[in-house]
Amino acid sequence: MDTSTSLRRRVSMAVQVFTSSIGFGRKGTVIWDSPEMIAMQVFLLPLFQISFFAVLAQYLDYSGSAVQYIVVGNALQAMSYSAVFAVANITSTDKWQGTLETLMVTPANRMALFVGRAVFQSGLSALIALGGLFYASELFGVSFAHADVVGVLLVVLVTSVTMMCFGLLISSVGLFLRTAMILANIFLFLTMLVSGVNFPLSTLPGWAQPVGYAIPMTYGTSAIRLAISGASLGGIGSLVADEVLVGAVAIMLGYLTMVGFERLARKTGRFEEY
Amino acid sequence: MQEAGEGSSAVDVKDLRREYVTRSFLKKTTKVTAALDGISLRVARGELFGLIGPNGAGKTTTIKILTTLLSPTSGSAKILDLDINKDMYEIRRRIGIVFGGERGLYNRVTAVENLKYFADLYGVPPSEITGRVKKMIEMVGLEGRENERVEKYSRGMKQRLHIAKALIHDPELVFLDEPTIGLDPGGARDIRNMVRGMKKDGKSIFLTTHNMFEADELCDRVAVISRGKIVALDTPAGLKKSAKDISVIELQTYGADANFVQRIEKIGGVTRVVADLDSERQSIRVQTEFPTEVLPTIVGLAGDVNIIDKSIREPTLEDAYLRLVEE
Amino acid sequence: MVSRVQAVRAAARMTMKIFFADPQWIIPAIIAPFIFTLVALLLFRNETGPLLLYAVLGGGLMGMWGTTVYGSGTSITFDRFNGTMEATLAAPVPLMWIIGGRVAWNTFIGVINGGIILVIGTLWFRTGISIANPLAFTFATVVTYVSLSSFGLMLATVYVLTRQGGFIMNSLEVPVYIATGTMFPVALLPLATQPVAFILGPTWGIEAIRKAAIAGYTGLATSYWTDIGILAIETAAYFAISFYLFGRVERLAKRNGTLEEY
Ligand SMILES: Nc1ncnc2c1ncn2[C@@H]1O[C@H](COP(=O)(O)OP(=O)(O)OP(=O)(O)O)[C@@H](O)[C@H]1O
Ligand SMILES: [Mg+2]
Repeated sequence: MDTSTSLRRRVSMAVQVFTSSIGFGRKGTVIWDSPEMIAMQVFLLPLFQISFFAVLAQYLDYSGSAVQYIVVGNALQAMSYSAVFAVANITSTDKWQGTLETLMVTPANRMALFVGRAVFQSGLSALIALGGLFYASELFGVSFAHADVVGVLLVVLVTSVTMMCFGLLISSVGLFLRTAMILANIFLFLTMLVSGVNFPLSTLPGWAQPVGYAIPMTYGTSAIRLAISGASLGGIGSLVADEVLVGAVAIMLGYLTMVGFERLARKTGRFEEY
Repeated sequence: MQEAGEGSSAVDVKDLRREYVTRSFLKKTTKVTAALDGISLRVARGELFGLIGPNGAGKTTTIKILTTLLSPTSGSAKILDLDINKDMYEIRRRIGIVFGGERGLYNRVTAVENLKYFADLYGVPPSEITGRVKKMIEMVGLEGRENERVEKYSRGMKQRLHIAKALIHDPELVFLDEPTIGLDPGGARDIRNMVRGMKKDGKSIFLTTHNMFEADELCDRVAVISRGKIVALDTPAGLKKSAKDISVIELQTYGADANFVQRIEKIGGVTRVVADLDSERQSIRVQTEFPTEVLPTIVGLAGDVNIIDKSIREPTLEDAYLRLVEE
Repeated sequence: MVSRVQAVRAAARMTMKIFFADPQWIIPAIIAPFIFTLVALLLFRNETGPLLLYAVLGGGLMGMWGTTVYGSGTSITFDRFNGTMEATLAAPVPLMWIIGGRVAWNTFIGVINGGIILVIGTLWFRTGISIANPLAFTFATVVTYVSLSSFGLMLATVYVLTRQGGFIMNSLEVPVYIATGTMFPVALLPLATQPVAFILGPTWGIEAIRKAAIAGYTGLATSYWTDIGILAIETAAYFAISFYLFGRVERLAKRNGTLEEY
C-alpha cells in the first residue's frame, strides 16, 4: 500500500489549494465583495481618512511638509482596513458558519490554504493605497514630480503583502478567542498610532517604539516617503528588506499559531466554542 | 458477539478512551467527563456499520476521533490500516465525513462553488473536478438548484449537499454522524437510499444514529454505546434475537389503576410493565418471555377493568436497545 | 404604551447584563474609537490653552459617536450571537422598542467612553477640567446622548435593509468625525459638504457642549439655546425616520424570518 505521497504530488496539491483558495477566499469569506463595495473601499476609505487628519493638521497650522507627511502616511495606512481587519476576520467568519471544522478535517496544505484565502484582500489593500496616493497627489498637493514610480509601486505591493501576513498572524491568534475582530480592531488603529503615519515614531514614549518596529507598516511609511521624494531603489532597499523580514516573521508565527491551535483543538475537542 | 472477518479492516479500534476536561475560570473548578470509556470494535472493508446510543453516549466523540479531529486520551485506532496519530493527512484524503446540520457549509456561495472548493482542498485532479461535481449534484438530487446560494437551501437540501461534499473525492470510507436527524420522513428515506448506494459502490460506512428503524434497515452490524461503553455489538437480527425474552403484550383498557398494574407485575415471567394511566383510556405494555401464558393470566385478573384491545408483538430492535441502554 | 417602555427597559437591561458577562465586547466598543481619538489628540501635542479643551471635548464626542456606530450594529447582530432571533421577532412589541432599548444602552457606553477620553485627555494635556457652565454642559451632554441614540436607532435599520450594513457603518465613522466638526471647525471643509454638517445632530451637540464648557468660545454664529433647539428638532426627525424604517424592517424581517440580510 502506498501511503507516502511523493513530494511532487504534494507540491502540486498545495498549488491547487492555493489557487483555488484565492478565488474562493473572495466569494466565500469576504463579506464586502460586490463591485460597489470594492469601489467604495478604494475611493472613499482613503479619502475620508486622509481628509480628517490633513484638515486637522491644517487647522493646527502645521507646516506644508508636516501636512504632506500626514497625507502620505494615511494614504498608505488606509490599506490596513482591508489587509489587517478583513484578513483577520476570515477565520471568524469560518467560526460563525461552522466551516472551520470542515476545513480542519481536509488534508489541504495549511500554509497554502491560510495565505490563499487572504490574497484577494491583499490585492484590494494595494488598490486602496493607490487610491490614497491618487488623492494625495490630486487633492492634497503632494508632488510626485521626483518620485521613483517603481519604488512607490514596490513599497505599496510589499506593504500590502506584509500587512496581510500581519493580518494572518492576528487571525491565527484570534482562533483562540471567540472572534478575531477585537484584536483586529485594536491593531488596525494601533498601526495608526505607532507606525509613523501621523507623527514619527521618535515622538512616542520609549515603550511604544518596539511595537512600531514589529509592524511592517512602520517600514512602509518611511520607505514610501523616501520613494516619493525621489530616493532610488537602492535608497529604500534596506527599509523594504526589513519590512519583508518583519512580514516573514509575522507569517511564520501566524502559521505556527494556527498549527498549534489545530493541535490544541484536537486535544480539547474545541474548534469553535471559545 | 459477532466479529468482522480477519485481514484488512476499514476501522480497527482498541480500548479507545477519551476524557473532556472542562474548567470554569470563575469557580476555579475542573470537571472531567469520560466521554469514551474504553471502546473496541472492528469494521470490515465494504461493511455498513452503525453506532447507536442515546444522547451524550459518545457517538460524535467516536466519530471525531476516527476522523482525526480529536485525539484520544488513550487507546489506538486504525483507519484503512493507517494510524490516526501518525498518518493523519493520508487518512483525511481517503475518508469522507458528514457532520450534517445547518453549519459547516459556505452559505454565501452556491452548492457548485462549495463542492469545487472542497474538491480542490481534497486534491481531486483539476481536470476531473467539473465532472465529479456534476455527478455528485445528480447523485444527491440537487439538479436545478445547484447554482443557488446555500443560504437559500432548506435543511434537507443542506444535508444532501453535506453528503455530496463528503463524497466529492470518492473516499473509501465514509463517516456519517446522525445523517437523518431533523429531516422529514421522505427526506430521511432519500438519505438512507444514498447510504445504500454508497455501500453498493463498495465504500465502507460508519454511521451513528438514534433511530432504531434506520439502524435495523441499513446496517450490517450495529454497536450499542451507552455512557461511553459498548454494551452490545451484533447484527440487527442477532440483537433482536438476544431480546426474544422481551416479547411485548400491548393492552388498551378502561378503568385500569396502579393496583391493576401492580398485580400484573407480580405475575411469574413478567419482566417489566410500562403503563400510561393518565388518560381515560390506558395503555399498558408488558414485557415477558412467555406471552402466550401471561396474557390469559392478565385477562383472568381483569375483574372490573375493561380490556378493549390486546396484542402480542415480537421484540423490535428498539426493545432490545432500550433494555441495553437502560440497564 | 406601558408595555413599550417596559420593552425598552428590559432590552437595555439585558444588553447591559450581556455586556458585563462578556467583557471582551468592551474592546471594539471602546478601545477602537479611543485609539483613533488618541491619534487625533496627539496632533494637538504642541498646542496650549482653550484649544486643548476644545480638542478634548471633541475627542469625547468622537468616542461617543464611534461607540454609537458600533453599538447600532451590535443591536441587530446581537440576536445572531445569542440565538434569540425568533424570540425577538415574536415579541408582542414593535421591534423598534426592543432595538431602541439596546441602542440606548450601547450609546450610554459611548457616553462613558467619551467621559473616559475627556478625563484622560485633560490629565494628559494637564489642562484640568474647568467647565465654564457645568449645568448647561450636563444638559447639552444629555440632549446629545438622546440625539445619538435616535441616530443609532436609525442606523440600526441599515443592517436589515442591506447586507452591506457592517461596511457602511465602518465607513460612516470617519466622515461623521469630519462633517460634524469634532476636531476642527466645519468652516474649513469645502462649501459643498457643509450642509451635511447641519443635518447631523452631533454637529449641534458638540457646539452646545463647547459653548457651555469653554468661556469665550465662538464657534458657529448660533446661541447655546439655538443649538439645543436644532438638536431637539433633528432628534425628533431621526425618531420619526426610525419609526418609518422600522415599519419596513419589521415587515421584511417577518417575511424573511431573519433580522439580517445575510
Ligand atoms: N467539547 C466538549 N467538552 C466537554 N464535554 C464534552 C465535549 N464534547 C462532548 N462532551 C461530553 O462528552 C459526552 C459524549 O458526547 P458526544 O457528543 O460524543 O455524545 P453523542 O453520543 O454524540 O450525543 P448526541 O446523540 O446528543 O449527539 C457528553 O457527556 C458530552 O457532554
Ligand atoms: Mg452527537
